[in-house]
Amino acid sequence: MDERGLACDDLSVGYDGAVLIEQIELEVKPGRIVTLIGPNGAGKSTILKTLAGSLPSVAGWVYLSGKPLDELTSHERALEMSVMLTERLTTELLTCADIVEAGRYPHTGRLGVLDDDDRAAVDEAMRLVAVKDLSDRDFMHVSDGQRQRVLLARAICQEPAVLLLDEPTSYLDIKYQIDLLRILRTLADEKRVAIVMSLHELQLARIVSDEIVCIKGPRVFASGTPEEMFVPQVIDELYDLPAGCYDPATGTVTLSAEKSR
Amino acid sequence: MTASLQTQRPRTRRIVAVYVSLAIALAVFVVLNACIGSTMLAPADVVGALAGGGQKTVAAQVIWDIRLPRLIAAILLGGALALAGFLLQTFFNNPIAGPYILGISSGAKFVVAFVMIFVVGSQAQMSSWMLVLSAFIGSTIAMVFVLLVSRRINSMAMLIVAGVMIGYIASAATDFLITFASDQNIVNLRNWSLGSFSGTNWADIAGMTPVVLAASVATFLLSKPIGAFQLGENYAQSMGVNIRAFRVALVVLSSLLAAVVTAFAGPISFVGIAVPHLVKRFLGTSKPLIVIPAAFLGGGIFCLFCDLIARCAFAPTEISISTVTAIFGAPVVIAILLKRKRGR
Repeated sequence: MDERGLACDDLSVGYDGAVLIEQIELEVKPGRIVTLIGPNGAGKSTILKTLAGSLPSVAGWVYLSGKPLDELTSHERALEMSVMLTERLTTELLTCADIVEAGRYPHTGRLGVLDDDDRAAVDEAMRLVAVKDLSDRDFMHVSDGQRQRVLLARAICQEPAVLLLDEPTSYLDIKYQIDLLRILRTLADEKRVAIVMSLHELQLARIVSDEIVCIKGPRVFASGTPEEMFVPQVIDELYDLPAGCYDPATGTVTLSAEKSR
Repeated sequence: MTASLQTQRPRTRRIVAVYVSLAIALAVFVVLNACIGSTMLAPADVVGALAGGGQKTVAAQVIWDIRLPRLIAAILLGGALALAGFLLQTFFNNPIAGPYILGISSGAKFVVAFVMIFVVGSQAQMSSWMLVLSAFIGSTIAMVFVLLVSRRINSMAMLIVAGVMIGYIASAATDFLITFASDQNIVNLRNWSLGSFSGTNWADIAGMTPVVLAASVATFLLSKPIGAFQLGENYAQSMGVNIRAFRVALVVLSSLLAAVVTAFAGPISFVGIAVPHLVKRFLGTSKPLIVIPAAFLGGGIFCLFCDLIARCAFAPTEISISTVTAIFGAPVVIAILLKRKRGR
């Protein structure tokens, strides 16, 4: 049995003991992409932070590759799981290669000096997301989209079994959004990485995901395959849209819902 | 592999060049500080005095009893200040954080003055360990205040203002204490409370060396988590940094480094901000593994240079070391602020 991946059992998340979302059940197996969708402020980021272990859970359990998350040391956790956050990063005099290399943290020794294997992993990750040519550029002097890809390379070269991404497509134009999702699909298919992410773009979530989890507090509103979730009944209610706004044929919402009926 | 090596090369060359320059500058200033003063000595005299060992010539006395301990103190304490500044800048993610501006040096100064005047009294000399310990208590108290403030406010500027205020309060309280000190203490205390390397003796060197070296080595060994922390707390945590332990280590080390400086030389301004900043610019990177040793060297050189000016500019009158470090350090801080403004 393949034990790797991420699961949670009757998980409640929130801040300072106040529950935002409760009774979350989730199982992300290697090679699967699970996407959280839902309105702003519904708690997608809160769930991801809790799964990442940077926010304590209010109740319930998170299992990382079969072990309870809070029983792992931060080092053990980092060997299994890496994250890509939405927060803006301000760095000083660090090149894009420096940022990616930071991903090797759990694999390097006391002083964090990279060996040949580490360099190879950094190189491979940077090629995969096509940022190799940015290696020597200052991280603060590249575009938002490039920065986002550099951060993805950082998360990849950590060589995790589980990858968490919070809104990875923000700041990206459509070409790089597609590129990024293609990379994630490759990671899932070829490296058997278990991926959990949140996305705003419904049409993208639909094409890349194996499973969709709809978040609308205080519970998980619905979950299932993209085919089951991307239907007007679910999406319209999830986002409080007038009935019929969501058009499953195009995967987008229409402005003139009432008339088209 | 060859491709990645090639891209690494210009950077490696630059780093080597900076380290070589720092080593040369250190050697030059050691020689200058040994030779220049009220008694001018030729480098040959210095070598002669050092080689002569026990001979009691005037040159030998000046070198062994006055200049050598003083320049060693400037190197060690300057290095300690630069590292304390670097740690605080990392901790608060604020380029103008430093032990002096955040009031940590002044906190140390206050407790040292208090212990000197009320506990030890005028008759006995304070031992080195007592000095360092009381300074450490003072710097930690000030640090705790700064931490409490930083929890409530999230603005870089306000943090600095709060630190400056803490510094003022501690300095005012120290001045108040000094007024009550017995006559023979006043002169010493006044000099020390303004910051000075004068009067450093070998007992002081024996007291400061183990503390400075141990704290500096510990700082160097934290290079890896400091590097991760540069990407922000959340990324650091996700990469396996135990954030709580790391924060405690940063607070203890920066307080200890600031304390040992204040214990032996009083509060010294701006070195902690200016030196790490300049060193990072020279090196073209902020990677801690590369920056930390260079910052230590840079702090030593900067303090040797400033002490030379403090001793010689208006000889025989000595000016306080902080006066000189402020003249050269404050413009760097202004440059940092202007640059950040432009960057936005």
